[in-house]
Amino acid sequence: MPEIRVITRDGDQQSIVFTPGTTLMQAITEGGIHELQALCGGVCSCATCHVFVDPAFAARLDAVSDDEDGLLSGSAHRCEQSRLSCQVRLTEQLAGLLVTIAPEDE
Amino acid sequence: MNADALIHKDYFTDQSLLLDPYEYFRQMYAKGPVYPMGGGDVLLVTGFEEAVEVLRNNRDFSSAISTSGAGDPLPFTPEGADISAQLDVFSEQLGMLNLLVSYDGMQHANLRAIAGNLFTPTRLKATHTFMHDFADQLVREAVSRGRCEIVNEIATPFVTLVVAEILGVPPEDRDKFRAVIDAAPPAGNMNKEDANEGAAPQLSPLEYMGLFFFEYLNDRREHPRDDVLTHLAQATYPDGELPDLLEMVKLSGFLFGAGQDTSAKLLSNAMRRIAEDPALQQQLREDPALIPPMLEEVLRLEGSTKATFRIARRDTKIGGMDIRAGMRLTVALAAANRDPRRWENPEEFRLNRPRIKEHLAFGRGVHTCAGAPLARLEVAAILQHFLQHTTHISLCAEKHGPPGNRHLEYEPSFIIRGLANLHLVLES
Repeated sequence: MPEIRVITRDGDQQSIVFTPGTTLMQAITEGGIHELQALCGGVCSCATCHVFVDPAFAARLDAVSDDEDGLLSGSAHRCEQSRLSCQVRLTEQLAGLLVTIAPEDE
Repeated sequence: MNADALIHKDYFTDQSLLLDPYEYFRQMYAKGPVYPMGGGDVLLVTGFEEAVEVLRNNRDFSSAISTSGAGDPLPFTPEGADISAQLDVFSEQLGMLNLLVSYDGMQHANLRAIAGNLFTPTRLKATHTFMHDFADQLVREAVSRGRCEIVNEIATPFVTLVVAEILGVPPEDRDKFRAVIDAAPPAGNMNKEDANEGAAPQLSPLEYMGLFFFEYLNDRREHPRDDVLTHLAQATYPDGELPDLLEMVKLSGFLFGAGQDTSAKLLSNAMRRIAEDPALQQQLREDPALIPPMLEEVLRLEGSTKATFRIARRDTKIGGMDIRAGMRLTVALAAANRDPRRWENPEEFRLNRPRIKEHLAFGRGVHTCAGAPLARLEVAAILQHFLQHTTHISLCAEKHGPPGNRHLEYEPSFIIRGLANLHLVLES
């Protein structure tokens, strides 16, 4: 089974096995990392599943939609690597993906 | 009533708990955040942390009973540390609806991937004009009469027509749908005899609407349009597979049904709060930007879903507590939203509480309400028009009694927190 690597807010790195077809948000939360709140449950209406994707993988992801872009723009921590993890669907090609949980917005 | 008598009431059938379920939850919480209901084997989860833990643990807790509840004995004796096979065999007897809310695992994830894309900010923005024009029209008519019964005259028609518009249900069919929905018992119905009334078996609203949705979706596969039904007709699962049309028919009907009742109840719960608190009402009238935070606090204190239900698929834990496979849980969202460990002075209505959006009114985890963004928008829209067109809104004393001694009637449901009616006097 393919894995992703997740760096939590305290700097720890964990590997999480995922099923292709699930979203990055699902993989992270089901992997037991509860600091990713994902309050809206993955319907692209909040920005509480914000992560930073390692630039080495950026080209393998689908582009950011206008809706995702709009929600991310409300975060004080937005940067080039920002993504809403509920909008990233995991495929075999993303095995090894490295992401960091973004700091929480106030 | 003393606490012991209260906690021994049957939550699933005792209609004396409808007026103030919160007192029952409070007394149960005092016994423990996870505590057996009526001394039986169904656990009531009233703690915030514990509720979040259960809702997020969709591996160990199945949603098969999410809407049927746990009022009847289990139709089987759980055997062993993992009852997955028994859950499959007995799904029908468990009252499992073959719908998104009751699905687990990949079956749920596949369908949710489609449902999760329906109420995006872009699509909701596109309905802004329709939603506000319609709200304005309904409110102006009501204000010109000087009174209204908001649940049935305003809330239900409004949310029904909004979701019909978004989905793309033709205008000529919308009234037919409303008629069957209005005639059906509420979700989590406490009156079991309703189910046996009448000699000939009738189609449920979902079955009735399903016949129409089957036609719409077939048509959209041939003739795509710019609506949600077309999105549903063309959607594929994450692995690229085209879903069975029946699955999309059920999803459409569910969105239509679920999309209306809980939103309508939320609107009336919010309006009751506003009508009974003139200072808050005036504050909102002067600053409509406070409507969304007000709504979040209403969702916390009086969201329209009191509880959802889970069954342990395998031996597991909540916190340090052992849970055996086959144990059932009533996850009291309404209680978790008043857990004093999580919320300071939880019974108090406060605008702009810190981290208010973490309330559980829409659930948490994979089954979080996909329609929440729509519900928030449509309820805020109509409240805004009510406040704009009135100088004062109050409860009708003829119908509900004088202030301090109000009579309110809630629908007989162990799931829904919803007024059966709410009569208002509208001054302008």
